[in-house]
Amino acid sequence: MSKELIRLRDLTMEFDGERILDGINLYINDHEFLTLLGPSGCGKTTTLRIIGGFLTPTEGTVVFDGECINDVPPYKRQINTVFQRYALFPHLNVFDNIAFGLRVAKMPKEEIEQRVNHMLEVVSLKGYGHRNVSSLSGGQQQRVAIARALVNEPKVLLLDEPLGALDLRLRKDMQNELKRIQQATGITFVYVTHDQEEALSMSDTVVVMDKGRIQQIGKPEDIYNEPKNAFVADFIGESNILDGIMLADYKVKFFGRTFTCVDAGFEPNEPVDVVIRPEDIDIVEPDQGHLVGTVTGITFKGLNYDIIVEFKGFKWLIQTTDFHPVGAVIGIRLNPEDIHIMHKSEYSGMFGDYSSYSAEYDELTEDAGDEEE
Amino acid sequence: MKKANRVLTILMFVFLYIPMVVLIVASFNTGKDITKFEGFTFAQYGELFRDKDLLGLLGNSVLIALLSTAISVAFGTLAAVGIHSLKPKMRKAVLSLTNIPMTNPDIVTGVSLSLLFVFVGTGLLNQRESLNFGTLLLAHVTFGLPYVILNVMPKLQQMNPALTDAAMDLGCTPVKAFFKVIIHEIMPGVVSGGIMAFTMSLDDFVISYFVTGSDFVTLPVEIYTYTKKPIHPKVYAMFTLLFGLIFVLMLTMNLLQLRSDRKKASKRPVSRGWKIARRWVAGVAAASLVVGCGFLFANGRQEKTVLNVYNWGMNMADGTDGTMDLVAEFEKRYPNIDVRMSEYESNEVLYSKLKNGGISVDVIIPSDYMIHRMRNEGMLLELNFDNIPNFAYVDEQFKNPDYDPENKYSVPYTWGTVGILYNTKYVDEADVTGWELMWNEKYAGKILMIDNSRDAFGIAQYLLGYSVNTTDKAELQACADKLAQQRPLVQQYVMDQIYATMENEEAYIAAYYAGDCMLMMEENEDLAFYLPEHQGFNLFTDAMCIPNCATEKEAAELFINFMCDPEISGANMDYICYASPISAAKEYMEDYLAESEIVYPDEELLNKGTSYQFLSEETSRYVESLYQGATKINSVSTEEEPSGKPIVWVAVAVLAVGGGTWFLIRRKKKKH
Repeated sequence: MSKELIRLRDLTMEFDGERILDGINLYINDHEFLTLLGPSGCGKTTTLRIIGGFLTPTEGTVVFDGECINDVPPYKRQINTVFQRYALFPHLNVFDNIAFGLRVAKMPKEEIEQRVNHMLEVVSLKGYGHRNVSSLSGGQQQRVAIARALVNEPKVLLLDEPLGALDLRLRKDMQNELKRIQQATGITFVYVTHDQEEALSMSDTVVVMDKGRIQQIGKPEDIYNEPKNAFVADFIGESNILDGIMLADYKVKFFGRTFTCVDAGFEPNEPVDVVIRPEDIDIVEPDQGHLVGTVTGITFKGLNYDIIVEFKGFKWLIQTTDFHPVGAVIGIRLNPEDIHIMHKSEYSGMFGDYSSYSAEYDELTEDAGDEEE
Repeated sequence: MKKANRVLTILMFVFLYIPMVVLIVASFNTGKDITKFEGFTFAQYGELFRDKDLLGLLGNSVLIALLSTAISVAFGTLAAVGIHSLKPKMRKAVLSLTNIPMTNPDIVTGVSLSLLFVFVGTGLLNQRESLNFGTLLLAHVTFGLPYVILNVMPKLQQMNPALTDAAMDLGCTPVKAFFKVIIHEIMPGVVSGGIMAFTMSLDDFVISYFVTGSDFVTLPVEIYTYTKKPIHPKVYAMFTLLFGLIFVLMLTMNLLQLRSDRKKASKRPVSRGWKIARRWVAGVAAASLVVGCGFLFANGRQEKTVLNVYNWGMNMADGTDGTMDLVAEFEKRYPNIDVRMSEYESNEVLYSKLKNGGISVDVIIPSDYMIHRMRNEGMLLELNFDNIPNFAYVDEQFKNPDYDPENKYSVPYTWGTVGILYNTKYVDEADVTGWELMWNEKYAGKILMIDNSRDAFGIAQYLLGYSVNTTDKAELQACADKLAQQRPLVQQYVMDQIYATMENEEAYIAAYYAGDCMLMMEENEDLAFYLPEHQGFNLFTDAMCIPNCATEKEAAELFINFMCDPEISGANMDYICYASPISAAKEYMEDYLAESEIVYPDEELLNKGTSYQFLSEETSRYVESLYQGATKINSVSTEEEPSGKPIVWVAVAVLAVGGGTWFLIRRKKKKH
């Protein structure tokens, strides 16, 4: 787990004068499951294609196993890719698709047969060898694509939104399947997705990207619990983000009140962003709360309600299992560990305010709910 | 409504296919007449397969089509891949450029290619024969390429671009990726493009006509010379087979398409049988290509001397109708010489072909005045009469003629007269009083006028009593006016087309060469020949010469000598029905010919004939322009008028270019 396999150093990529990647520095360890996560246009696919050798960076180097491979064409790299829409060869059947790489490498026939059949078992497609690829379902095609890449026993497998075209249920199954295959083979996976849930549940390491830059690298739990800036806090899950002032270590002031928190190491009186996750907020009777607000909207989400609560003109999202009708006055309590403090960044003030709740909510979850202001 | 629709559809198909059905039926007809079906027979097919010349021409066409298709497919596919990888803006621009040759009128493409080939070949590379097999092939590739590109591009655009990445990802170099993956994806486009290029090449006439040399002629180009004379039914048989070939090709293409569509729809894997069929098709294609190349190679390696003879149409006995096949006979006597015949239809055409350059011929047979002109312009080589001992047989009166006073450049081939051929069934004998018959309004629309300036002016000159060799502009203008006056009465201006029209009685009166008139009289008994002796008539001689573009002078002299053999000359006259300048040949001719007064008019009559002399270059051109004005355009053109014409054309061109540019710019703006 510890050996470094790939290192990207100061990668910059420009298309027609437009900067797509801006100083990417990243290392990937052997046997790691690393995910590049970000909204569309953040540069994650570009990064993947540079690793695959389909693009040459404008500046910077790609180091593989200690050697610069900038000028090594894709067909000479020990890296294979699972493409966004599978890119299976329509003129070949399942077996021939999987055997393609081995045949190009001129492997003996018996060995090809053995390895392809083994691979068919790994991806649970035993007996499908003679099927035409266009006769398979999306999930099956996906597994052929994975088998076709894995059968070459690459050192690294690149996956470009491999589950994007599948429906939700199938996606969940395939997530488990992929994780299982990765653990079984021990091959390094570099996975690209815009789905934060997918990233958190599968990865050893998550790299959050936006605007061609890496915003944060870390374990899924760290990314979620300790977002580095407002973008990460907002992109990974839901967050209420407020302006605050760090009075001293473990003391933060916002909404005119001083709260105890678990963060330290800031300058005295440094302006900061305060993150409070909607699911961490405890609702209490108004007279027992640290803050008192009025419910202005409520949406039933199945597992819980999303309610919008107004505190002194600022609207928060709170997730609760109890029903609070619009107009109800509630109090909330914030425990020190529920409060996360971040340095101010270019993203400050752009996220975490639910005053314009509906639009933002739609955009993030792609799930239309009832909207109320 | 639905019924009406169906009826219309059926009518449309009938309309589309009826000509083909007529042709197919005609190919199985026992009789020669296309209007009457006399019985079913395969005889025409038998004749077709015995006709080595025709099959050879068909072979030429198929060879050119196969080779040009193979080259077009290879380069077109690569070009399409290249164009596809360009940025969208550039791609569009390049695509519209490649499409232009397809929409360009063939005649423009043909002429410009011909100019280019002659310019490069003769001008830059100093080749004697710049138009040849290679240029023909290049031309066919030129118009085949766009079809391949046009068919392959959409397939490339439909293809998932990630497939190339996937192939490279799995270890393929870009070239390997092309052959292992991309080619399979774009195959339907490649095949349909190839089939289109093949059919286009197979039936191309216009472009081929301009870029083909004398050594390699395709079927359509040769058939063009046939249509002016009655077509032999074996040609129908060949057309039927050709139609069959194209039909099968198209059917295959459509089945392929259907198959691939169905494959996608049913999501079934490709069946084994189909795979085998595909392999078989590929095998046949490859084999025919190899055979084609082999044929070409064999042709190219021939060590025989190739003698190119450029002659009038139907002006040498070829073995049909029981005559002697002179070429075969010559090749039998001189096994090291391979004779290739090609044909021109008038002295003027011969002259301009030679003048334009790009072809190489060894023997030509122009008429007297044209020999004079060519001699003046240094276009002829002096003959070595040591190689032509048979020249001794030529009658004294044909030696040292006006057009070649020292007899250095020519050996007479035939001689004859120009007179009037008329149909006794329709023409009143009382009207047959002289050349004015050609102006008789009673027969308006049934008169055929000879279609070349010299003979047409000659007729007017005899009628008006001028010298046929006058250079007086006023007299020439009067002749032109006379011809213009005749124009509304004339059904058609014709050369070889006269045969069918007169034999089928579509026209009643025509002016033409005596020998040809004899042939027509054999076919239709009601035809008669008349020489207006009181007014005068043309007495012409055709003679064999060697042009200065010749490469095989010695073989050419052998050939000329061979033609002067009285026995050969006699056999030749049996076929062409002209008079031989070799009296000894009469012994070998059929009696009716040797004794015919039409072929051999008596001395007294002959003295009333006059022959054309070469006028000056300037007068020739003046006569030609007067002729065009009098016969081709409604108004009689005057000298001043032509200077105004080019401006009109320039204006049209400017308008077209301007309009086109404006249209393009507007379209582009709309897009943005």
